[in-house]
Amino acid sequence: MTATSNILPLFVGISLAGAFLTSIVGKKLKWLPDLMGSLTTLILLGLSLITVRIVATQGILVYSVGGWKLPIGIALVLDGLTVFMLVTVNLMAFFIAIYSINYMEKFTSKWKFYTLFLLMVAGMNGVVITGDMFNLFVFLEIASVASYALVAFGTERHELEAAFKYTVMSIVGSLFVLLGIVFLYSYTSTLNMADMANILAQKSASNITIMVSVLFIMGFGLKAALVPFHAWLPDAHPSAPAPISAMLSGVLIKSLGVYTLCRVFYNVIGINSSLSLILMVLGTLSMVIGVFLAIGQWDFKRLLAYHSISQIGYVILGIGLGTPLGMIGGLFHLFNHSVFKSLLFLNSGAVEYATGTRDLQKMGGLMTKMPITGTTSLVASMSIAGIPPFNGFWSKLIIIIACVQANRLGYAFWAVLASILTLASFMKVMKYAFFGKLREKWNKVEEVPVFMKLSMVILALICVVGGVLLIYNINEVFLKPASDVLLEGTKYADIVFKGIQ
Amino acid sequence: MNLTAQFFKFDNLSIFVGIFIGIFFLLITIYSFGFMWQRKKLIYYYSYLILTFISSLGAVFSNNLILFMVFWGFLGFLLYLLIEFAQTENASYTAKKAFIIIGGTDALMLLGLALVWRLTGSLQMDEISISLNTKVAVLAYMCLAAGAFAKAGAMPFHTWVPDTAEDAPTPVTAFLPASLDKLLGIYFLARITLDMFKMNPAINTVLMIVGSVTIVAAVMMALIQHDLKRLLGYHAVSQVGYMVLGIGTGNPIGIAGGLFHMLNHAIYKSCLFLSGGAVEKEAGTTDLEKLGGFGKIMPITFITFLIASLSISGIPPFNGFASKWMIYQGIIKTADNGNNLWIIWLIAAMFGSALTLASFMKLIHAVFLGQPANEQPRSNEVLTKAESMINKRRETSPTMWIPQVFLAVLCIIFGVFAYRIPLKMFIFPSLVEKIEFFGIWNASLATILIIVGVVVGIIVYLLGTIRKTRETEAFIGGEILEKQSNMRVSGTEFYNTIKDITPLGTIYGLAERKVFDIYHLGSIITFGFNKVLRYIHNGVLPTYLAWCFLGMIILFYILLR
Repeated sequence: MTATSNILPLFVGISLAGAFLTSIVGKKLKWLPDLMGSLTTLILLGLSLITVRIVATQGILVYSVGGWKLPIGIALVLDGLTVFMLVTVNLMAFFIAIYSINYMEKFTSKWKFYTLFLLMVAGMNGVVITGDMFNLFVFLEIASVASYALVAFGTERHELEAAFKYTVMSIVGSLFVLLGIVFLYSYTSTLNMADMANILAQKSASNITIMVSVLFIMGFGLKAALVPFHAWLPDAHPSAPAPISAMLSGVLIKSLGVYTLCRVFYNVIGINSSLSLILMVLGTLSMVIGVFLAIGQWDFKRLLAYHSISQIGYVILGIGLGTPLGMIGGLFHLFNHSVFKSLLFLNSGAVEYATGTRDLQKMGGLMTKMPITGTTSLVASMSIAGIPPFNGFWSKLIIIIACVQANRLGYAFWAVLASILTLASFMKVMKYAFFGKLREKWNKVEEVPVFMKLSMVILALICVVGGVLLIYNINEVFLKPASDVLLEGTKYADIVFKGIQ
Repeated sequence: MNLTAQFFKFDNLSIFVGIFIGIFFLLITIYSFGFMWQRKKLIYYYSYLILTFISSLGAVFSNNLILFMVFWGFLGFLLYLLIEFAQTENASYTAKKAFIIIGGTDALMLLGLALVWRLTGSLQMDEISISLNTKVAVLAYMCLAAGAFAKAGAMPFHTWVPDTAEDAPTPVTAFLPASLDKLLGIYFLARITLDMFKMNPAINTVLMIVGSVTIVAAVMMALIQHDLKRLLGYHAVSQVGYMVLGIGTGNPIGIAGGLFHMLNHAIYKSCLFLSGGAVEKEAGTTDLEKLGGFGKIMPITFITFLIASLSISGIPPFNGFASKWMIYQGIIKTADNGNNLWIIWLIAAMFGSALTLASFMKLIHAVFLGQPANEQPRSNEVLTKAESMINKRRETSPTMWIPQVFLAVLCIIFGVFAYRIPLKMFIFPSLVEKIEFFGIWNASLATILIIVGVVVGIIVYLLGTIRKTRETEAFIGGEILEKQSNMRVSGTEFYNTIKDITPLGTIYGLAERKVFDIYHLGSIITFGFNKVLRYIHNGVLPTYLAWCFLGMIILFYILLR
């Protein structure tokens, strides 16, 4: 444990502190919530960018909470994958917080919003940074509970209904995760992930691990919205306020679902061919079913929500392949999807902010009145559809090449098909919302306020230049360490223990 | 230096295509100054044009397949933006359709690229050489060819071309679907067919089938169109068939003919679109019903249009004939391999050529000859008004007709001096194998003979021996024309009777219901699946929970089995 590892608890601490401070004084000081939201996430973003460098130079960092000796105490572990997720989560959180400054004006009690928002960020940061199984569950619940409340934030009838469905299904998922952790604890007598991985590796394969695997696939798969555990998502994500939709689709399902799946299956339980096959099949199912459902939607945000299912399918397919190229592709797509899907939800929010509708059939020609929203959402649409040179193209390209390289031609074919349909459905969005003739009733529509524009423009720029992450030097410090962690598999334990000394 | 060699390659074929991309870019830019002025946001329009130019050059000179895909895919996006520039409801529908077809096939190309990489371990175009003896190799070829077909507009990915021609701004149509996309699509088809894959007879036959079907089907559709630009759009599809057919013959003369036809087509088709655009600019419409009599008003445009029409119909000595003649030779040559199907390809190609001529007769009549639609001889007042309307119309501005004339002159030069200029300078150096003509066609000699013939005819006419003419009813090929009060024959009714022929009538009916449109079929299938899936997503919470448990049970079964 070195001095630099003291940075680890800050990720949870700062966001929790921000949340509590906002809830205590935010009611009195009207300007405080906005400031707290942006400032906290900015600090977190800065910290996570610093950790990229730290991990590149010093390797893995371990921090034991309260000075308790490992494996008895709670460990926080910072490795390549964690850094990658921290950057993704906090980058999105920061831009979404900026966007919320203007967007949340139309809601009352902004301080409640920011409190919940920062709690959710704390939960997500905690999930990715923790090295303890039960701690992971606790953070998972913090993030989930905050998100239930945020989905219902508008307190209209359909929002409450969606939040209720989401809560019930998500709690079912959480319970199965808890059950899985209980089984693992009783089987290995430890909760530290590294320790658990060691003990599991020594014991021979048994039905307990299989049982736990199924519970985890179901529980974490539900958080990641994999088909057939996806049904809560298309209700929950559109009902939330736009910044929260962006947060949920952009990072929540990834840190709570995809990250946990990867961590548990690659580093703790250990992947095998049948698990890998299950991941790939679930990924492909999500990819195809999600996009078929999306293309017929007329509600802007609901369409985007279905695409989240589809795009998560790509990520899981890439990671499930288990080859180095597949991992890179999957993780890269995870990052790219965070950027463009958040941006698309912010765009839909901007359109709703300006026109008051989410129905694509009622829009039309908004490009002339809202050029920045229109252009940024064009960029994001091209990214998600995989049009070069935007970022989505590169990650899809890698995933397709990885599928073919692993001799999985069928999966590659489905990935291509889903890509075509994604393009088609975003062409529909662009045509009905932004191009064509301007309707008369939108003659007085104005472009959204400055902070919303700022955040959309920067995210669009990231979409345009996202491909540079593949350039050798940047790839070496950002994507590759993350995929290396997964490729190391259960050797993860040894590395963590080495980090303690 | 090393890096350049890795990513870019400048060989004769790419340099030749690159030069013509540059020429077309210049011409279209000049033309756009005249055509697009007074429109809004022209800065975007011109920057898209420049970006299109740069990406096209990038695509042509790329040696690395991924780099190529980046430029190629970006071109599709630029096309989408350029069509969107017309800012009408139809244009935005067309832009969507065009980009879904092009972008969709680009995604297929990604699969093809991945397969190529798996087969050879390389993405350098000049290092790849795959023989088409495995299923994977054939699949890779098909995926890459699909992209080339969609870009060039060959069947079954052609349906975006006529729509684009109708709705997009005319310079855009002349630039992308008519010239650049053809150059690029056929360039890439030639690249994969000649360099990257070793062809076998079966694949060649597939190419020739695609080519023949494209020629005949598209020209049949062109015959019955009522819109100037849409009609030209169908011809843009039909002519691709010749290029694919030429490359599909697999022998040097046919391939050279295909490439030459690609070049010629780009020249005369953009000339046609530009001339059509000039008419559109003056008349404000492209509906054949409302056009007529423009030959007197716009003589320069009329002449350029006429030359380009004769070229596309394959009339000697214009360039279209020279390349078609080479393609015919290529087709006949395939008989050497003991392939008896050559007669079918030959008939399809010649039949298509004849129908092309027929449909251009209709077009020239309707636009430039015929009576103007505004002429209403019944009332004197109206007549003067109409006449003043016509008098106001005049030849287009020089920025518009200079590109037209330039292209028309190219049509003549490339036809008359076919061997000495284009073939020797551009086409033959692009191909490795030596090309031997076995049909005798000396373009210059023939031109002289034609000129002599015309001169003799004029002399005979002037001598007055055939001055004694008799007047008779106009022969209109057995067509029955509806009697109109003003005795005007607009030309749109020409060839409508072919719809009465039994099998054709049904096919036209189906075509009008878009049964042959891959985009339409795809959307029916997609929305079918969508309906089923939406039906089971009924929003009932217990159902959703039941899926979760069902999923778990299946997972248990798989893992514990």
